[in-house]
Amino acid sequence: MWVAVLVCAPGVFMMCNKPGDFAEENFDPRLSGGAATAFDATSKSFSHMIEGMKAWDEHIHELGDGQFEQSFVTAPAPVNSGLGAIFNNVSCISCHHNDGKGTPTAGAVNSSLLIRISLPGQDEHGGPVAVPGFGLQLQDVSVFGKQPEARVNISYTESTFTFPDGVQVNLRKPDYALTNPYLPLPAGYMLSPRMAPPVFGLGLIEAIPESTILSFADENDADGDGISGRPNYVWNGYTQKMELGRFGLKANAPSLQIQVAGAYQQDMGITSYVFSNESSVGQGQGDGYADDPEIPDSIMNSVVFYVRTLAVPARRNVTDVAIMAGEKIFTQINCSGCHKPTLYTGVNTNLPTLSNQRIHPYTDLLLHDMGEGLADGRPDFTANGQEWRTMALWGIGLFPKTNGTAFYLHDGRARTLEEAILWHGGEAEKSREKFVQLTTTERNSLISFLKSL
Amino acid sequence: MKNTIIWLSGVIIVLAACHKADTPANNDFDTLTANVLSDFPVFVAIPQYGDLYSKASDFETSVQALVASPTTDKLLAARQAWRDMRSIWEKSEGYLFGPVEDDEYDPQMDTWPVDYVQMDSLLASSNPLSVSDIQALSTLSLRGFHPAEYILWGKDGNRQAATLTDREKLYLQSLTTDLKNICKNLSDSWNPSAGNFAQNLTNAGKPGSVYATKQEAYLAITEAMIGICEEVGEGKMEEPYAAMDSAIVESPFSGNSITDFRNNIIGLENVYLGKWTSDGKGINEVVAEKNISLDNALRSKITAAVNSFDAITLPYEQAIFDQRTQIKNTQNALAALKDALENDLKPFLVQNVKD
Repeated sequence: MWVAVLVCAPGVFMMCNKPGDFAEENFDPRLSGGAATAFDATSKSFSHMIEGMKAWDEHIHELGDGQFEQSFVTAPAPVNSGLGAIFNNVSCISCHHNDGKGTPTAGAVNSSLLIRISLPGQDEHGGPVAVPGFGLQLQDVSVFGKQPEARVNISYTESTFTFPDGVQVNLRKPDYALTNPYLPLPAGYMLSPRMAPPVFGLGLIEAIPESTILSFADENDADGDGISGRPNYVWNGYTQKMELGRFGLKANAPSLQIQVAGAYQQDMGITSYVFSNESSVGQGQGDGYADDPEIPDSIMNSVVFYVRTLAVPARRNVTDVAIMAGEKIFTQINCSGCHKPTLYTGVNTNLPTLSNQRIHPYTDLLLHDMGEGLADGRPDFTANGQEWRTMALWGIGLFPKTNGTAFYLHDGRARTLEEAILWHGGEAEKSREKFVQLTTTERNSLISFLKSL
Repeated sequence: MKNTIIWLSGVIIVLAACHKADTPANNDFDTLTANVLSDFPVFVAIPQYGDLYSKASDFETSVQALVASPTTDKLLAARQAWRDMRSIWEKSEGYLFGPVEDDEYDPQMDTWPVDYVQMDSLLASSNPLSVSDIQALSTLSLRGFHPAEYILWGKDGNRQAATLTDREKLYLQSLTTDLKNICKNLSDSWNPSAGNFAQNLTNAGKPGSVYATKQEAYLAITEAMIGICEEVGEGKMEEPYAAMDSAIVESPFSGNSITDFRNNIIGLENVYLGKWTSDGKGINEVVAEKNISLDNALRSKITAAVNSFDAITLPYEQAIFDQRTQIKNTQNALAALKDALENDLKPFLVQNVKD
């Protein structure tokens, strides 16, 4: 019995001195990426390597960094061979300007916008139906002497919105028209514009457990808050399985490997071990050269590693009174219902800087109906024609730095954050309405808060 | 009595020390940090981009002369004009922030590698090859320094004036005019009479500047110095060195690579000192004002890095095989400089440059 007491005694003491939770206010609010945060607010703020990696991993990151910036040229070439012959741009960095977003034009040397295409219906995996002769993405640029699939003409319809306090905002809605198709286009094709998103913080996004994402889902709006986020399940052509999608504007890429390899193949016409056929196979515009895969496995993998290990920029001005007020408003009007402020990543023994981190991506990685104004009308696996994946808001305050001029939303239509918020409809309608009804001071605080991310 | 005087002196000294630190000395420092920023466009960016445009004009003229009279000495003159223009561009890579990156003047002028297959198709076609045709080409690999370099030197550096074809001459002329136009746009972008990017530095911390604080502007400039240091040491030099592959050396046709690399770091030095052909106030003076040993350390690391290139005497395509130790030494000097900029200069600026 005395033994039992002696054994139990420490337990009693431990219960008396139970450790409390680490208080919320003790966390550093600037660490949007946890340990994977970089303190830089210049044009290079999205381009920093995460810390704490082994020397070999740093070497691979730098290799991938170099590759990300390489321009491809027409095969055969001694260096960077294999461009196109049809493509959207010649290098990753051309669209992902300074590892961020770029300019919403199509077909020019600095364009960052591409167009997905499909026919109604679903393929054998529930995904979009390819257009014969065009595929699932338009390649609107070609090497000299070849013809691109089509050219894209972007036009805008302007409108003005007036806040209750009299402040006016100019809105513009884009329209996409195809010209000079190299083949006649079938009737009923669907188009979806996609601006290149930033490529930092992706290792952290990748490390969020599936269970976390699914815990946010509320497809039938059981809690009655107007929000009914749901996951996108997509086909992974490499693993030959249906998997949870989390990358891409409609969460249609299940892994960084698929996202990067898909971009190589579709956006630049570069084949790899993941997608070893040209996007133009069966069409007239192949480069006609038996050089596939055009990049070695190690290079492909180094670029995946590169985007996995880019740090998140630290927040700025976190103690500013207006910004702290804006942060409260963000939650009060329920922007946080989809743009979730705080998530935890799972364990990753290879990359401790990404492992078990408290991060602030401001996304639930789920699909949400955003209303008619933003709809593309083109389903993509589970995502219907009005659904988009919640965009991460970390780094959004630095878009003017990384691209000179900021463009927001999936098609870059918004030039200010106010514009972007005003386009929120569907499940976001309630929050948008509350935003519109804020006082001038409250609205400015909220915008200042977003600019601090 | 003596004790009272000592005591009183002590009190006076203490009182003097307790006097609030808003002394003329601090106002002078604030003035200095503002002057360094406003000197940068006046002493560095605007005159340098102006010289770049002027050399681009000279290059265009030299190619017109070559086309009119395709002799060896005209070819050599055109090559020299290319090198002279290139030298200024490479030095300007010490400050790759602002319109040069935001409006993509850098890739317009300096995309690499050359697209041989597309160029052959283009030259074999009936495309008129006017300047507007060049500007309408679908890839930047067909514009700028490197296609011009390729035509002037050829793959092995042994191009003969007599073998220049009519198509190549036409293309080359349009390339030089295109380059000149790009340099004009770049020069205009900073000029107060045109794009006036300069005002962002002059008015840093005031409304209308993209830099919300003076510190932000200093950090943008510093990040640009770090960037070029990293790009040279860990990119342009490292990739061919590690792969032992001369095909991935930039500027392979003219054998100009080491000159280019050194000029990048001289450009970094000019940024730090705030000078081009004249010496304005630079970041060095802000540093020296508070920490002379840091300024000395930075200057000596910059000088060491620039001078280390002297030891690499072979063209870089060969040096990656036969002078690997010398290359490593330069990379180490660049790494030491980058480390000092990142871990000494940046914290110094964050600590000391206030609005």
